[in-house]
Amino acid sequence: MSTARREVRVTVNGRAYSRSVEPRMLLADFVRHECGLTGTHVGCAHGVCGACTVVLDGVSARSCLTFAIQADGKEITTVEGLAEGDSLNALQQAFHENHALQCGYCTPGFLMSLTEFLRETPDPDEAQIRERLSGNLCRCTGYANIVRAVQAAAQRLREEGRT
Amino acid sequence: MSTHDEGSDTWVGKAVLRKEDQRLLRGFGTYVDDVPEPRGTLHLSMLRSPYAHARVLSVDTSEAESLDGVVAVVTGADVADLIPPFAADYERPGFKISHRPALATDTVRFVGDGVALVLAENAYVAEDAIGLIYVEYVPLPAVADVEEALQPDAPRIHEDLEDNILLTGGNKTDGFDAVFQSADHVFRERFRINRVAGVAMEPRGCLAIYDKAEDAVTLWTGTQVPHMLRVGIARYLGWSESQVRVVAPDVGGGFGPKMYLYPEELLAVALARQYRSPVKWIEDRLEDFLTTYHARDHVYDVEVAFNDDGTVQAVNVDVLVNSGAYSNYPMGVGLEPFQGPLNMPGPYRFRQFAFTCKGIATNTCSTGAFRGVSAPCVTMAMEGMMDRMARHLGLDRVEIRRRNIIHSDEFPYLNVNNQRYDTGSYVECLDRALEMVDYEGYLAAQTPERIIDGKYRGIGIAVVTELTGQGAARYKARNLSDLPGFDGAHLAIEPNGQVIASTSFSSQGQGHETVFAQVIADELGVSVDDITVRGGDTQNSPFGTGTFASRGAVLGGGAVIRASGDLREKIKKFAAHLLEASPDDIVLEGGHAHVQGVREMRVSFYEIARAAYGLTDSMQLPEGEDFGLEALATYDPPASSIANACHIACVAVDAATGIVEVERYIVVHDCGRVINPLLVESQVQGGVAQGLGQALFEEVLYDAEGQLLSATLMDYMVPTACDVPTLEFEHIESPSSDTLGGFKGAGEGGVIGSLPAIACAVGDALVPVGANINRLPLRPDTVLSLIEGADG
Amino acid sequence: MAEHGIDARPLAGGQSLVPLINMRMAQPAVLVDLNRCSELAYLREEDGVLACGPMIRQRELELSPLVRRHCPLIAEAMPHMGHATIRNRGTAGGSLSHADPSAELPGVALAMDAEMVAEGPNGRRNIPVAEFFFAELTTALAADEVLREIRFPKANSHTVAAFAEVGSHFGGLAIVGVAAQVERDTAGRCTKVVLAATGAGERPTRLPSAESILTGEALEERTIMAAAEAAASDVDPLEDLHASAHWRRRAAVAMVAQALRQIAAGVHSR
Repeated sequence: MSTARREVRVTVNGRAYSRSVEPRMLLADFVRHECGLTGTHVGCAHGVCGACTVVLDGVSARSCLTFAIQADGKEITTVEGLAEGDSLNALQQAFHENHALQCGYCTPGFLMSLTEFLRETPDPDEAQIRERLSGNLCRCTGYANIVRAVQAAAQRLREEGRT
Repeated sequence: MSTHDEGSDTWVGKAVLRKEDQRLLRGFGTYVDDVPEPRGTLHLSMLRSPYAHARVLSVDTSEAESLDGVVAVVTGADVADLIPPFAADYERPGFKISHRPALATDTVRFVGDGVALVLAENAYVAEDAIGLIYVEYVPLPAVADVEEALQPDAPRIHEDLEDNILLTGGNKTDGFDAVFQSADHVFRERFRINRVAGVAMEPRGCLAIYDKAEDAVTLWTGTQVPHMLRVGIARYLGWSESQVRVVAPDVGGGFGPKMYLYPEELLAVALARQYRSPVKWIEDRLEDFLTTYHARDHVYDVEVAFNDDGTVQAVNVDVLVNSGAYSNYPMGVGLEPFQGPLNMPGPYRFRQFAFTCKGIATNTCSTGAFRGVSAPCVTMAMEGMMDRMARHLGLDRVEIRRRNIIHSDEFPYLNVNNQRYDTGSYVECLDRALEMVDYEGYLAAQTPERIIDGKYRGIGIAVVTELTGQGAARYKARNLSDLPGFDGAHLAIEPNGQVIASTSFSSQGQGHETVFAQVIADELGVSVDDITVRGGDTQNSPFGTGTFASRGAVLGGGAVIRASGDLREKIKKFAAHLLEASPDDIVLEGGHAHVQGVREMRVSFYEIARAAYGLTDSMQLPEGEDFGLEALATYDPPASSIANACHIACVAVDAATGIVEVERYIVVHDCGRVINPLLVESQVQGGVAQGLGQALFEEVLYDAEGQLLSATLMDYMVPTACDVPTLEFEHIESPSSDTLGGFKGAGEGGVIGSLPAIACAVGDALVPVGANINRLPLRPDTVLSLIEGADG
Repeated sequence: MAEHGIDARPLAGGQSLVPLINMRMAQPAVLVDLNRCSELAYLREEDGVLACGPMIRQRELELSPLVRRHCPLIAEAMPHMGHATIRNRGTAGGSLSHADPSAELPGVALAMDAEMVAEGPNGRRNIPVAEFFFAELTTALAADEVLREIRFPKANSHTVAAFAEVGSHFGGLAIVGVAAQVERDTAGRCTKVVLAATGAGERPTRLPSAESILTGEALEERTIMAAAEAAASDVDPLEDLHASAHWRRRAAVAMVAQALRQIAAGVHSR
């Protein structure tokens, strides 16, 4: 059984990281403990809750179901990469304005999944929104304000796209 | 949703956006697993019993110890001297104490009970080593079901106790029997309430950092009760409290299960000191399902005696609670058995009430507090009986409730349990909720067959009370000697004029940093933006009880009002001195102090602070006054304050599959004076989601041998965004007459109302099949069986 | 894999295998990462067949116009599989090899009579789909074989497909599903009916009793209900903590009806 460490080079939120890790290290643990980006959270490690969602090579992915070495040479975006400098981006701002978070633990996972969703579906109806949201679990909010936040963000992004 | 606008008169009552959001939305929140690990942190992994009940004959740690990266393997024998068995030791007639060792020595009592642990250089190796520890068990007969545990030949969970009954209690009002016998009708029903789990999205964990110089430990842990934890840890380890600091950072959901002291916390602290290394433990989701305290798992035998006019004359309930293997700290096993009967009368005026209750040990994970405790469950029973009575008498469900409800002109009201109801709006909330759902229209469209568009459709109405803001007197009456009952706030104006507040509360999503700031803002005449609210660190925050049982608004609000009052007097004195006026003529507004009626004569908080901290050219100290600008206050409310609500659920039941959909959900909610309506509504929405889960599909399932069957999120179903409708929600405010600020709590109402509303709605939908809804969850296969008449 | 035997497992999307590894329910000594084998991720139109490489992502199948046109049953089933983020990484080969009794793609493969091409050190072989899904989480693949290609027959233009499923709540894991594929003549009578149930047994099951009731009949409520009820005798469901065997049987009946109604109404999945 070869557990010899391997080099992993990734770009996270535009910054390069190079680390030597065990092959079995999960991408979630890599991002959190090797890169020090603790915004991505681990809620279950079995792919159900979605709190660990990142964007890997352009698509949303569960970082608890991916090994760090699988991300070698790839680009990752985490929640820390969403804000524009000191300003929350449109989706984050919509979450804030619609009180779409309470404890905040599930929030990064939602944000990463929804970033992709709004790009692919810029004018979603409520059923489509709830369908997409069902891939992430929240135990605090009961989802209503998250739905509102997505609707508000979608509208704002459409308006910004037009100008 | 608006922020506070300049020129509005108060912050309290406004939908202020949260201050917490900035860091949480950016991913800068610091949960326990995010706290930077000091160099040399040892990772702790627990070896847990695979048997529900067994003797532990031997523990062979040799192979685990020799694994590269393992620093130590620790067994129950190793820690027996460090950590004595612990439990809430309170004196109460009928209560037997069952202590819990931090690590089992000779007996394991539930699947998940800790037997040994590994300290290693990283979490992966620690878990590898767990697999290399060999334990010789002798399995013993186990029992998981609460009624089976009562049988005389049932396996005994604690050999030093004569049976599995950990607690008994009861009461009967004077004259009960006569009234009960003379009523026109008696209905009896047995209710079985499912066991559920909190499933906070953040699993439990802690990081214990040992300070060599101080010989002290700082414990970072996702707890709801840092001060109570500190007291408990110091007590059980035999340390001075000055050697223990507990810090609750950002916590990813509490809901009750995180208000307890767990063995892993004691172990991490004790071993950090022993090994002079930081020790970190983070559970995974499987461990969370196995070991984080569960909730509910009750059996109620209910008898309701009522008359032809629908008035309830007397209620009798016998409560069985599955307490699990061990008592817990600080609540003990008495929480659920007594809270059930305590909350059962709800908004109703019946004057005869009898109950018995038992907390029974089984070979399962301990049960304890989870949002609402027993209130959602007994309310479901009571409201279900109301509907049954109505159907039997041919009365409308609303009408029968009207004939039993306490009216607003009767407050303050002492209910049959001598529970004081301070203020409330039971009828008003009901009336408004009926308007919102168009109850008349709903009934007009309803048919005896209940089928509309191929589904059985029904409506459920629940009128509920919520016990909130309990203080010391209540906890002492409940013999909870480990609960202080009061809370505290420390307020200071910094030298730059900003306000720093620290309370004995910590937050798991309730928005305290915003809500308490709103209260302080009104008290001191400053903006919420100039106030920072902290909590959760026993080193920096005043002593108090902590966050659970809908206490925050009442106790925290009251404490900051008190502290603000003291501080306000000081501020006025300094301002008066600077303005050469009388303190009685000083008004605080907009971050300034000005002379009443003369706005131009003013000083800023900054200037006042400079004077108070001696940072001016010349002495600016008022006569008889001391330097400094801070205040510390505690608050203990008179008893408890009672919030109330009306919940209405409209459901559709698929006749082919039994799946229940909640199509509409209405809440009219009264939590007294509302501090932040946005946050209150969201608390109720979240609570409704949890109640919906328990009502329809959540269940912690053990088999007959005590094996946990539902140990993952694939097996334990948590509501998704496709399950939970958006509430139609309105507030009514009946300020408490008893609490400072008139606030009442709001955290648990969502669950308390949704369990009965949804259960009653399904009961209404299934009227044509004649089903009594008396067990939860109403899973599709259960509902289908009712429809098919399989249950008779 | 030949070198390490049962100690080695192929790693496809990881959406089914890695949870087991994280929970230490599966502890393979070696993972053979197929994600870097770009030659295994393809979707190729051939004569009469859409050939998929095992590593084709579920999301690509979901969005593919080729799939929508030629294999409508796959297009109907895809939105039901897990969630979008899972489908980004999950693969066709992974889902089929994992053989979860409630998984949708095995039911689709069975309904479409797909050709399952296995490859090992001894070369390639075709495994008939009816034999491929052996038991719960067990396929006919040998320990040193991988699923190398899945060949889905193209449907003709008269074929309409639907997929319906149900679980214990909404937005969560499905328990029982039905894949339906129907060809009708110009008079509206069914000339070919294929129905396969997932989650109603150890492996996906065809529903011959239901199929034969509909053959030659029009799709109307009477015939749909008759076919659905007949399906009850075609399944041999398991019982577990999620649902009783009885419920699974009744859910299969309900999903047959729902899928057929979707076809009759011309309604598409999501």
